[in-house]
Amino acid sequence: MGDTKTHTLPSHQVTAQLQPESVWRVVVLNDPVNLMSYVVMIFKKVLGFDETTARRHMLEVHEQGRSVVWSGLREKAEAYTFTLQQWHLSAILESDGAV
Amino acid sequence: MEPFEVSLSLPVVAPLLDVVKELADGLKQTLASKPAVPESDAVFRDLWSQELLSAQNEDVTALLSLFNEEFFTEGVVAFDHTNAEAITRACSAIRLRLRERYLAALGDEALEIGEVELAQLDAQTRKAFMCYLFLATIQELIIQHLDESIIES
Repeated sequence: MGDTKTHTLPSHQVTAQLQPESVWRVVVLNDPVNLMSYVVMIFKKVLGFDETTARRHMLEVHEQGRSVVWSGLREKAEAYTFTLQQWHLSAILESDGAV
Repeated sequence: MEPFEVSLSLPVVAPLLDVVKELADGLKQTLASKPAVPESDAVFRDLWSQELLSAQNEDVTALLSLFNEEFFTEGVVAFDHTNAEAITRACSAIRLRLRERYLAALGDEALEIGEVELAQLDAQTRKAFMCYLFLATIQELIIQHLDESIIES
């Protein structure tokens, strides 16, 4: 019969800390050129908004100069920003700076 | 989207195409508006801008192809699902460039509400502003066909 060896864990605890992912915001800025109907159409088409939500964000852009139209992980936020820029909207990406 | 055709007044629209073509040429090399690229890496930034420029060129080509032989003989332009979105984007690109190149002096508020005294403009600015309105009309026509609910509300 062989020896039974026991292994003990080190006395100190290893804790794995997950770094929180930053939240990235896609922000659309006002411009005096693009038509309101054009902006509403893009919000519906690109971001999947319904009519009411698209119109609310369009008015926010128009009246307050900017609107956060999406937030989440960076990769998807970049994709939305790129597509909105393809439609010639002034879209920028902002981070909450968690990372 | 159902295909549709629009009859345009040749004597009114044809002179505006000079402006459209001039600005379209410039848009081959540069973006209509400088994009905020969310990355400090130079290679990524170049790639981002090049992709936008390539897409912009395709859109502007679609717009210019509207004004073909049929347009110059019958005054008719045709829209369908293959060109509508590209043309809408191209109109936006050229309107942005019109503002930058010719209409900045009018002020953003006047441009936004479209209230400009045409009689007070010099010939070049007047032509540019007419072009600006013409492209907006094209956009609204297309949007109406792409999504009726937007224009109705």
